[in-house]
Amino acid sequence: MNRIENKLNQLKAKQEKAFITYVTAGFPDLAKTKEIIKVQEKAGTDIVELGVPFSDPVADGPVIQDASYRSICGGTNLTKVFKTVEELRNDGVEIPIVFMLYYNTILFYGVEAFVKECERVGVDGLIIPDLPLEEQEEIKTALVGQDNTILLQLVSPVSKQRIPQILNGARGFVYCVSSMGVTGQAAEFHKEVKSYLQNVKEQSEIPVMMGFGIRTAKDVEPMKDIIDGAIVGSHFIRLLEESNFDLEKVKEYCSTFKKELNEL
Amino acid sequence: MNKKTYYGEFGGQFVSESLMNTLQEVDEAFEAAIKDESFLKEYHYYLKQYVGRETPLYFAERLSEKYGTKIYLKREDLNHTGAHKINNVIGQILLAKRMGKKKVIAETGAGQHGVATATGAALFDMECTVYMGEEDIKRQALNVMRMEMLGAKVVSVKSGSNTLKDATNEAIRTWAKTAEDTFYVIGSAVGPYPYPKIVKEFQSVISREAKKQILEVEGRLPDVVMACVGGGSNSIGMFADFIEEKDVKLIGVEAAGLGIETGQHASAMAEGRMGVLHGMKSYLLQDENGNIELAHSISAGLDYPGVGPEHAYLRDTGRAEYVSITDVEAMDALMELCKLEGIIPAIESAHAVAYATKMAKTMKKDDITIICLSGRGDKDVNTISDYLAGKGYLN
Repeated sequence: MNRIENKLNQLKAKQEKAFITYVTAGFPDLAKTKEIIKVQEKAGTDIVELGVPFSDPVADGPVIQDASYRSICGGTNLTKVFKTVEELRNDGVEIPIVFMLYYNTILFYGVEAFVKECERVGVDGLIIPDLPLEEQEEIKTALVGQDNTILLQLVSPVSKQRIPQILNGARGFVYCVSSMGVTGQAAEFHKEVKSYLQNVKEQSEIPVMMGFGIRTAKDVEPMKDIIDGAIVGSHFIRLLEESNFDLEKVKEYCSTFKKELNEL
Repeated sequence: MNKKTYYGEFGGQFVSESLMNTLQEVDEAFEAAIKDESFLKEYHYYLKQYVGRETPLYFAERLSEKYGTKIYLKREDLNHTGAHKINNVIGQILLAKRMGKKKVIAETGAGQHGVATATGAALFDMECTVYMGEEDIKRQALNVMRMEMLGAKVVSVKSGSNTLKDATNEAIRTWAKTAEDTFYVIGSAVGPYPYPKIVKEFQSVISREAKKQILEVEGRLPDVVMACVGGGSNSIGMFADFIEEKDVKLIGVEAAGLGIETGQHASAMAEGRMGVLHGMKSYLLQDENGNIELAHSISAGLDYPGVGPEHAYLRDTGRAEYVSITDVEAMDALMELCKLEGIIPAIESAHAVAYATKMAKTMKKDDITIICLSGRGDKDVNTISDYLAGKGYLN
C-alpha cells in the first residue's frame, strides 16, 4: 500500500489529525535536509512535503522563493534530491515523502523516467502546483498501474464547480489552499474559508488537508471540525532559518503542533 | 489535454488551480467580445482616434535601392506610445472594462508594455500596477518616470534575476491573489491560453492593414513578411493574416545576442528545448538542471527566455522560419536605417531590418519584403550612445 494512504488510515483509526510540513530540499544543504526529515519523523510529523527547487516558483511567496533560490545556488538538482530520498529510505526512514515541484522540472527529466525514479527511491506522492486537472493526462498515464507514487490534487477557494471533477479518482489527501495567491502569506485565510472547506469535505471521500498561511495549531481551530490535517510551509522554513537550523527547535515545534492539533 | 488551448503540442494552461476559473472567465468574455459589433466598433474607434491607425506601409526607397530588392516598412513605430504594444493594450483594457474589472496589472521588461498599459489605464480610469525587475528599473529610468506620470504604480521585483521573467512571475503571483477584481494585461504572445490568442487577435490589425496596403500599391501579396521575435507579439500580429497565404514566406528574427555559440543570447528556438514557464508549454532557454536560463540581448524587448506557443508551432510545422541576428548586426542595421531613411528604429525592430538586408542577396529586384518596424528607437538612445562609445551596455 502507498505510504501516504497507509499513514492516513492509521490516523483515522486513532482519530488523529495529520500534521504535514514543507521543507525545501537542499536548504541549507541536502545533508541537513536529511537530518530535518529524520528528526521530524521522531517528533511526530506525519507527512513531509519535500520541495524540489525551481528557478521560477510562481506559486510560492518570498520565503520559499528565497529558500529555493539559495538551494539552487548551492547546487541542488532533481537527481541529487532523488539520491537524498534513496539514502533516507536506506537509513530506515518510513515517513511518507511528497515531492512538491513545478512541472518543468519533471518535463526536463522526462515524465516516464521521473515516475520510475520516484517509485524506485520511495517518493510517495506528488504535488505539482502549476499542473491543473486539464494538464494532468501525461503524468497520470505514466503513473497508471503502480501504487508507490500517487498524484495529489489541490483545490482553491474559487474552484467551486470544478471540485467534483478534481476529486473524481483523487488519492491520498486533497490539499485545500486556504487563501488565494501564493504560499506564505500571514494567517489571513479566504473570507469564505469555512464554507469552502465544508464544501470540499462534504464531497471528498479522502482526507482534507488545509495549507497556506498556517503557523500554529491555533490558526486552524475554527476549522477543526472540518479538516483532517494542517500543512505548514513558509512558517516552518522561517523557523528553520531563524533558529539556524537547530534540530531541537524543529523537534519542539513539530511535537507541539501535533499535540495541540489533536487537543483542539 | 484540452486541445482547444493548444497549438500542436504547445500552449496549454500551466497555472495554479486558483487561476483556472479566471482563465475560463477571460476566455468566455473575450470570445463574446470579438463577436460583438459594439465592442469591435469601440476598439477600432480608439485605434483610429487615439492610437493613430492606420499606420503607413512605407516603401523604403533608399534601403531598397541599396540592397536591390523592394523593402516595405510597416510603421508601428508611429503609433501613440511609440510601438505596437498599444494595439493589444487597448483591446485588453476594453475587455477588462467589459468584465467589470477596475484594476489592471502588467509585467514589463524594457518598460514599453508598462507604458502602454499605464496609458490605457489612464484613458479608461483604471488603477494600474506594473511589475518590473529591479535591474530593469535601473536601466530604464525614463520609462519608469513615464509610467508614474501616467498614474501607474511601479513595483520593483527583487527575486531571482530581477528582470522580465521575474517581473512576470510576480505579476502571476499577484494575479492569483487578486483575480477576483483584477485583470492581468499580458503584453506578449505568451502565457496560458487564451492569452496567446488574445494578443494575436489584437495585434492582427498589423497584418490586416499591411495586406490591404500592399495590394493597393503593388497589386499582389509580398514574397516575404518579417518581424522580430521576443515573446512574439508584433511578429504574430504581422504574420496573422498571411498565415493562410501559403506563398508568403514568414520569417521571425530572434536575438542572437553575443552569438548563439556563446550561450549569451535570447533565441529560444535555436536550442529548441521544450519546457513550461509562465503558464505555457513552449521552447525555453534552460540550463542542465531544467532551470530557466537568463536571456541576453542588447534589446531589452527581446531579452526573454521563451517564445509564444503559436510561434513554436509555426516553426515545427514549417510554416514560418526562425532565424537570429546578433547585437552587432542589429546595431549596424539600426544606424543604417537612421542614415538612409531618417528613421530611428527600436533596437528590437532593427533585428528584423538586419535580417532583411542580409537576405536581400537571395532576393530578386522585384521581390517584395515587408518588415514590421515594431517600435521607435527614442527609448534606446541611452543604450545606443553607450554602445557607440564602446562602453558596452547594461543589457
